[in-house]
Amino acid sequence: MSLDLVNASPAFILGIPLLFAFLTPLADRISKELRDAVFMIGLLLTVLFVAVMSYEVFTAEGWAYVFGAEETGEITRFSFFRIMFVADGFAALATITVAITALGAGIYSFAFMEGQTGMEKFYTLFLLTLAGVNGMILTADLFNLFVWFEVTSIASCGLVAFINYKGKSVEAALKYMFISVIGGLFLLLSIGLLYGEYGILNYFAIAESVNGGVVDRVALSIILVVLGMKASSVPMHMWAPDVYTESPGAVTPFIAITSLGSLFVLFRILFVVFRYSVSTAALGGLLIILGLLSMFVGVSMALKQSDVKRLIAYLSVSQIGYMLLAVGVGFSTLENGDYATFGALALEGGFFHMINDGVYKALLFLSAAAIVYSTGTRNLNKLGGLAHRMPYTTMFFLIGGLSIAGIPPLSGFSSKLLIYKSIYLYHPILAIIALVVSIITFALIGKVFYNAFLGPDLGLSKGEVPTTMLLAMGILTAVVVVFSLFPNYVVAEIVVPAVEALGVTA
Amino acid sequence: MNSLFYALPFVMVAVLIIMGLYTVLFKRNLIKMIMGVAIIQNGVNLFLVSLAYREGYVAPIWTSAPDVDMVLPTPHALTLTSIVIGVATTALMLSFVIMLKKHYGTTDSHETRRCKE
Repeated sequence: MSLDLVNASPAFILGIPLLFAFLTPLADRISKELRDAVFMIGLLLTVLFVAVMSYEVFTAEGWAYVFGAEETGEITRFSFFRIMFVADGFAALATITVAITALGAGIYSFAFMEGQTGMEKFYTLFLLTLAGVNGMILTADLFNLFVWFEVTSIASCGLVAFINYKGKSVEAALKYMFISVIGGLFLLLSIGLLYGEYGILNYFAIAESVNGGVVDRVALSIILVVLGMKASSVPMHMWAPDVYTESPGAVTPFIAITSLGSLFVLFRILFVVFRYSVSTAALGGLLIILGLLSMFVGVSMALKQSDVKRLIAYLSVSQIGYMLLAVGVGFSTLENGDYATFGALALEGGFFHMINDGVYKALLFLSAAAIVYSTGTRNLNKLGGLAHRMPYTTMFFLIGGLSIAGIPPLSGFSSKLLIYKSIYLYHPILAIIALVVSIITFALIGKVFYNAFLGPDLGLSKGEVPTTMLLAMGILTAVVVVFSLFPNYVVAEIVVPAVEALGVTA
Repeated sequence: MNSLFYALPFVMVAVLIIMGLYTVLFKRNLIKMIMGVAIIQNGVNLFLVSLAYREGYVAPIWTSAPDVDMVLPTPHALTLTSIVIGVATTALMLSFVIMLKKHYGTTDSHETRRCKE
């Protein structure tokens, strides 16, 4: 923490995309190339600062960045009244997941969105969403969370409806907007409840005095439902398939990452604010039930889909279930001796699955978008034989698909193995359900692969997609491959610090 | 009597939020549903402002303030932010409805469910 730039990197992770979001319309006045360049520079600088922050967290230790503090790096009692950003292992894990996906989606959108008008606004919305998700993840202040939640909602709804000459995308955006806005208002209500009780908004300050009374429980339930809804966990998942299907292909992974970001925030609030005041066994049990429902309902709804993006959307709902399940098991063991036996392992599995899921889901959504780009249809019954003309997309889809299905040696297998191992010790039946869901997922990926890519060439495809789109998918594939080849390294360097940041036993 | 007086704003908050939720859930017209969202917004804002109120305290403006206790300033700041955000979200939702009306020719929420087809 010698250099001030390193200390302030959490602020830069937000500041850079916010600045560049409003530079792109200005650059558009000069030339289209400059606009694209400005967008790319903003994206790369954000990724750079994520890397700087994560490197500092992994090599030294985490810190809290307090806005407007006179002394940097020092936490006084006044710090809790200021806006505080936490740069710890968990924030690093989450921002890395967001950064990788944003990079993939950003590079992909150059060619994919070509020919659309108003692209400078698209880039503005894209960078605002990026800032919003990172803000939600980094902040340690409840009201600041609400602000970033709304920034994310507004910007990502704009992205969903960006192709506004199609009625369905506007319909999906309006649906998402209703869900997000009402969710956001109830989040504000629960923040008001907590503020009224404790007179402070900082997570750590509330955690010191939280007593688990009725008001706290009401606030906790509202937060759980709202963030679970944004994360598309099952009873609250109805918006997700429409939104993922109808949003422009290049940004679908980015909409999915806002869900994952909400899940990160939910876990941080549960672990930091409420773990000492509620029964962790009961709350963990609730997360496990939500997880099982998401896994099972998600995958069974995916069975009957014939639209490729809708099918992957339901698979994505089912993957959220794995994380809820694993983290639920970890959370429920926090206060007893099982944490050392398998609770920490479950958390490792859950968090590793989150970063894996962010990457391979982005890869799957992007390759599905490549199918739509090249053939103009999403209907699996009409598709066929794409492997003849789109060999690279076929390969990328296969790697992403096998990873989501948890086939060894791909990254999805490494994280799922950790989950199976730990939840088996919690209760064997959970591991059996998780395995069954995984097998059905594999069958579904097989179905999509067989229907869309194998068989005789039907002449549907206009040929392979442009190079920048291949590059974007290639970057994500490379990340999946690296995670597959060195799972031990990734777990030790990236996932374990996140577990240690949240799962500290008293 | 006094405690009832202080409870009144919170009763009003509950009434507003339930009214808004009812409108969103049971009205078919999209514009009316957005009005419902706006009613919930006002309910939540009223809740935040009521939290800050203390009897006999003055507004938290430091410049040449009398030497008496002040009401909590934070909820007012929160409410201002929330109002601004509320305007933005309402405007965006209404613009979505305008586009939807152009495409589908209706603002009936039962007939704007074509994503599943």
